[in-house]
Amino acid sequence: MSGVGDRAVPFDLRVSFSASRTVLQVGGEVDVLTAPGLGALLDALVDRGDSDVVIDARNIHFMDASGLGVIAAASGRLRGSARRVIVASPPPIVRRILELTGMNELIDHDPGYLQRQALGPEQRAGDDSLSVAAVGADPGLPSVGRAMAPPAGTDVIDAALRLVTALARATVGGADGVSVSLTRHGQLTTVAASDETIAQMDRDQYATGEGPCLAAASEGHWFHVESLADEARWPQFIPRAIAGGISSILSTPLVVADRPIGALNIYSSTERAFGPHDQELAALFATQASGILTEARADLTTEKVAQRLREALSGREIIAQAQGVIMGRQGASADAAYAVLRHSSRQAGITIRQRASAIVDNARHDDLIGRAAR
Amino acid sequence: MTPPTGVLEQGRLDVGLSHGELWFRYFELGGMSTALEVEAYLYAALDPTLHDRDLLAAALNERFSELGGDHPIPYSEDNEVDQHNA
Repeated sequence: MSGVGDRAVPFDLRVSFSASRTVLQVGGEVDVLTAPGLGALLDALVDRGDSDVVIDARNIHFMDASGLGVIAAASGRLRGSARRVIVASPPPIVRRILELTGMNELIDHDPGYLQRQALGPEQRAGDDSLSVAAVGADPGLPSVGRAMAPPAGTDVIDAALRLVTALARATVGGADGVSVSLTRHGQLTTVAASDETIAQMDRDQYATGEGPCLAAASEGHWFHVESLADEARWPQFIPRAIAGGISSILSTPLVVADRPIGALNIYSSTERAFGPHDQELAALFATQASGILTEARADLTTEKVAQRLREALSGREIIAQAQGVIMGRQGASADAAYAVLRHSSRQAGITIRQRASAIVDNARHDDLIGRAAR
Repeated sequence: MTPPTGVLEQGRLDVGLSHGELWFRYFELGGMSTALEVEAYLYAALDPTLHDRDLLAAALNERFSELGGDHPIPYSEDNEVDQHNA
């Protein structure tokens, strides 16, 4: 599903968890293109974990300042705690860049540290660690090991959300909307959509029983529609999407325990909006989100994930509506309207969301009265 | 390696929110930046817009309220906000 692009050495991330530490194996080139993926995953591991985070650097071929930056940020966040970010077995080029930048304290100098990890998956069959192929997963590689996932908390969900949002932003050049579909009770449901048009695009696919989102979620590989006008597949859905102003779609599957469970869908009003880098980023973040969902399954159902997403999105919606009401009434800019909302919520001693909800309710009420009076 | 702690990052530490949780609250209030960008704002590696900065202040202030406190993080309209300290 990935391996897109023309890099001599494909970027690769794998995570394994054990009781005492989390090991992140990084391979290939860590540069401005791949560092955000590494950073997002490091974020998730630092936030969720209760152990040291070990970056197994043996297979890094190149690392630039952007890679250093995300490692420094992760390390900085653990400062003051008993936990550490450790860079283990760095090759000379990585060791040198860490030393030059004063980050050599992160280097692990105990050559035995990774010995257990040096064993292949076969030798580690009895190990209690959970291994998740995070990025650049070659179809030939074993992807998800079974076994006890560490307990998952809401921060795991946060991490999944962050990855999805990071994706939306990382591809913002071409992306006009993003949605996440997950299988619940055997049916695909949209658990997050950037706006109503996008939610409708997903619904149109469920209604017609066809489309790239459904295909990605059932077949487990990505579907890319470069130009809807030239697309011959999905004759029921495509005309609806064109009518909705969509010109290209990229759907990337979310995979848990080797089974596709949903898809991350990126829509654009421009034809051929998604280049190889966009596809690579989509695969990167979708696969990471999948890995995190794998763990979240331990004690967090899809329903709960969906619930939290829905609440967050509906809160944003209500706030945006209230902002609109204030802008209409006071001729204020969006930011000024938000400041009014914030200020009045504080004066009333309630949250911004509660205040927004009251403003929207009042506006509806006034509107009804106004209509009745006419 | 890390610049001096600013008002927002200090507030986050005071109320005990993880970066992820603060980002989520900021997102719920309508924020559009990614978690990585928000983190960069907190470490002063990126400059947030005034609106983003105020959203982060609001997310923290609502958390202070939940804990029984007032709204200690100033907003951009409060003149004492030092942009470089955000």
